[in-house]
Amino acid sequence: MSDQRGRILLVEDTPTQAEITRALLDELGHAVRHAETGAHGLAMALEWLPDAILVDLQLPDFSGFELMRRLRAEGSEAACIVITANGSVNVAVEAMRQGAMDFIVKPYGKARLKVTLDNALEKRALKAELSAVKQRLNRGRFFGFVGSAPVMQAVYRTIEAVAPSRANVFVTGESGTGKELAADAIHKSSPRAKGPFVALNCAAIPRDLLESEIFGHVKGAFTGATDNRPGAARQAQGGTLFLDEIGEMPLEMQVKLLRFLQTGSFQPVGASRPERADVRIVSATNRDPLVEVEAGRFREDLYYRLYVVPIELPPLRERGEDVLMIARHFLAQFSKEEGRHFRGFSREAEASIRGYSWPGNVRQLQNAMRNVVVLHEAETVEATMLPAMLLRADRRPPVPGRLPEQELATGLRAPPPGPSVPDYRPTEPPPAPFIEALAAVEKRAILAALDHTQQDVPRAAALLEVNPSTIYRKLAAWRAG
Amino acid sequence: MVSALDPEIAGQLAEDLPPAVFRRIIATFETDLGRLTAELQACAVTANADGYQRAAHSLAGAAAAVGAIRLASEARLAMDPLQPEAPATLLPRLSAESRLAIAELHSLAQA
Repeated sequence: MSDQRGRILLVEDTPTQAEITRALLDELGHAVRHAETGAHGLAMALEWLPDAILVDLQLPDFSGFELMRRLRAEGSEAACIVITANGSVNVAVEAMRQGAMDFIVKPYGKARLKVTLDNALEKRALKAELSAVKQRLNRGRFFGFVGSAPVMQAVYRTIEAVAPSRANVFVTGESGTGKELAADAIHKSSPRAKGPFVALNCAAIPRDLLESEIFGHVKGAFTGATDNRPGAARQAQGGTLFLDEIGEMPLEMQVKLLRFLQTGSFQPVGASRPERADVRIVSATNRDPLVEVEAGRFREDLYYRLYVVPIELPPLRERGEDVLMIARHFLAQFSKEEGRHFRGFSREAEASIRGYSWPGNVRQLQNAMRNVVVLHEAETVEATMLPAMLLRADRRPPVPGRLPEQELATGLRAPPPGPSVPDYRPTEPPPAPFIEALAAVEKRAILAALDHTQQDVPRAAALLEVNPSTIYRKLAAWRAG
Repeated sequence: MVSALDPEIAGQLAEDLPPAVFRRIIATFETDLGRLTAELQACAVTANADGYQRAAHSLAGAAAAVGAIRLASEARLAMDPLQPEAPATLLPRLSAESRLAIAELHSLAQA
């Protein structure tokens, strides 16, 4: 039997009985508070959050049963124990029916009170533990992730397990599966959470600049190095450095990264002395790292240094109902951002979302939801509002990990052929001194940016320095026109 | 003469609690008795049946809590709306039981 100490609220209006129970509870080592009426007891329970409540049935304002009903309605999780002078079976049955964990017949001594409270507190603790475990096994949100699929629960558990350690983590998964979210979750649930989180996309940085980006440079190290500049390694001091697309890192740079991992020190470009940094590395790639090693594109020794704890993020098509959960999440978020009133999906729309294979994963779903919200206004998303590729999914076998066509990348419907959309061919030189209408120039620039980014609207918008919704509106207008 | 107290309840309390705490409980009980007896009498005078039964219920609870079983029985009689005894008959008996219970509790506290 446990010997727990708890916070006990006593709701009892008879001063003698209250005094005795308080004294016994004090003797048992519990923290005690006392209320003389049901209303006072309710307020105290909600404010003090006791572990257990001893409830007298006959109170001046309302009955103890009514108090328990109100407590339940308010979401109180305290164990209620009914205290009554009437030890009949009827009272006991009614007490249990009203949610009491136990009941004590007055008068009661210290031993009886102790056994009853110990049982109630132990039962409550087990219930709380069970609920915590269930919650952990069915989490629908985990840091930036949305989804409760079993495969994602395994990912959440791995992140939680690895976060407190110093181990390097290698995240793999197709594009758009949330590798940076995983790195961010590792950082935020680690003892380094208060330190910086620095993310660097190795594929987005020119080869010549990568060393400087990671390790920094000193003034005069190369043309254009007009000042000392700290690199990501120093910026991440005491925190986490996330190296995305590490498979794109040149071999000569891999050697330098390996040395940093082995010694904790690095040399900024042009510096004469090494520097030290306490950094945890989380790296990611959408390629198979072993294939890269075998092909000689990735150093084996670096692979083993980085691949201490692997986390593989599943593609969206393997996450079951998560696809709808995430779609609803984005629908709500974008509706709020764009001032729309969408509340959910029609059955047909849900079936289309479920039936599509989402080769671009969550990022593609995100873009598709943005597209729907920007181009339409209603309470329910109908199937006809969805990007066309969802509706003809059965005729387009997906290519995992790749966006098979430009329109798949964003979920944008392809603009209809004809004069409303110019046949833009970047290879054809525009006729010299030719003055175009401003709208035509704008259209050409937008389509070129979309072409360049493989129809990734947010990226195209970033290149054009406009809001993504501007592009969506333009596309809709061209289509309508 | 039969004791006014149930030795198991009152004795257990005296054993479970420090003497000072036990004495404090007796003092609270005395205060309760004074207040509730006055309430009973006032309700009897004004023929307030509900108030009479409520006060009797509280008195029964307080008496039972300290093991004053005979007093608790008398109070339960007063609680019962079907009981034939008039307050004028019952209340003096109840007062007498109160005095006895208090006296025995004080003796127990000094033991």
